Amino acid sequence: MLIHQLEAFIFASDEPLSMEKLRRFFQGVESSELREALSTLEQHYANRGIQLMQVAGGWQFRTAIEHKAIVSQLWQTRPPRLSRAMLETLAIIAYQQPTTRAEIEALRGIQVSSSIMGGLLERGWVKVLGRKDVPGRPHLYGTSKQFLADFGLKSLHDLPDSSQLMSAEDIQQGELPIQQHTQEDTDRAHEQSRE
Amino acid sequence: MTMQAEIVETPEKGQQEHLFEAMQTALPSLPPVQLDAFEGPLDILLHLIRKQKMDIFDIPVATITEQYLNIIETHQALDIDVAGEYLVMASTLMQLKSRMLLPRVEIDEEGNEIDPRDALVAQLMAYEQYRMLAEEIDELPRMHRDVFKRAVFPEADDVERPLPAADLEGLLAAFGHVLKRMESEVRHRVVLETMSVREQMQFVTERLQQGSTQLFDLLGNHAHREAIVTTLLAILELWRQRVIQVVQTQNYAAITLLLTVDESDTSQEGEV
Repeated sequence: MLIHQLEAFIFASDEPLSMEKLRRFFQGVESSELREALSTLEQHYANRGIQLMQVAGGWQFRTAIEHKAIVSQLWQTRPPRLSRAMLETLAIIAYQQPTTRAEIEALRGIQVSSSIMGGLLERGWVKVLGRKDVPGRPHLYGTSKQFLADFGLKSLHDLPDSSQLMSAEDIQQGELPIQQHTQEDTDRAHEQSRE
Repeated sequence: MTMQAEIVETPEKGQQEHLFEAMQTALPSLPPVQLDAFEGPLDILLHLIRKQKMDIFDIPVATITEQYLNIIETHQALDIDVAGEYLVMASTLMQLKSRMLLPRVEIDEEGNEIDPRDALVAQLMAYEQYRMLAEEIDELPRMHRDVFKRAVFPEADDVERPLPAADLEGLLAAFGHVLKRMESEVRHRVVLETMSVREQMQFVTERLQQGSTQLFDLLGNHAHREAIVTTLLAILELWRQRVIQVVQTQNYAAITLLLTVDESDTSQEGEV
């Protein structure tokens, strides 16, 4: 039975399984059938301790977020908290990619230390995509598949909403964002960020 | 964050405006803050603006400049690399402050006056957006923090690894491989000492009592490296104690060992 085969197949895999990969192993099965089976499975697991999730362009079984307290007890160490510097750098890379270190620094208004870039590269969330064709040929950074997988994102379109993002160039030109935040909005956001 | 702007609740509404004006001119003194709680000059400015509920599109430059400088000045022992950026912002603010006093001469294409604060406001708003997005990214369900997958976590200490299924033939073959490897791969073997230097000293002395002998005759009797080494050590020890003498007449010539007859006679000592 296709649903059960898929279930076993995805369960046994270490990586999220993409549609292409599933198609390769389930030869003779129509894509529409696969999709339907996946959707049935997804619904079946919707209210269970593990869930069938779509991450980094593939399907993967993961524990439901509400059980994180109990599940994380299995391990003695917890992943360390990420510093604000690292998260802000990661955010800029995610939304502005491909981007250079100088552009990140322009947006943050402060140096990006090597340990931050090193940390992001080491975790596999950020990778060098190439070099920018400007003097000095600086590295161009972007996010990786690992970033999508570790942050539970289907794709980059799945990132938190970013309708009014400005780039380093916009700032140099002194452009103001068209949409102005209301004072209330920004205050609320600010209170959250300072908690 | 322990920092609080001095916004005092006043019982009467009329006083509030007066107080606000006083703040603008007489500078609210902010409690000391830790610079490392901030992610750079933009972060400090946003903090000051938002905490005091200032309008970001109409920043009171004079006030914000003074407050910013106060925060910077309390941290004179700044890391010089970091300090650079904070100081650049300080000078930007001071320049802005003076430009605010001048009549606006710059005009954009549509004939409107250009607010000298626009560039800074754009920078602040852009940074604020990324700061918020960073928070949102941090709240995404993170692997190994919020969600877990079926995989061996590197630090797992209780992971049970199932034994592979094996048949007898495979087991024997594997054992055969191990044996083969053992034969060719003896690197280091430790055995108990079967000969002692003391014993060999006794042996050498006894031999020499029967008359002087060649070194190679003494060593040549032994098949094992260990015996040769022990005998050589015994000879060296006897020589050191001047029980025997070692004589070589010329380079590469045979080395003769003989018992020392007269303790005072050392003239015949040779080189090995």
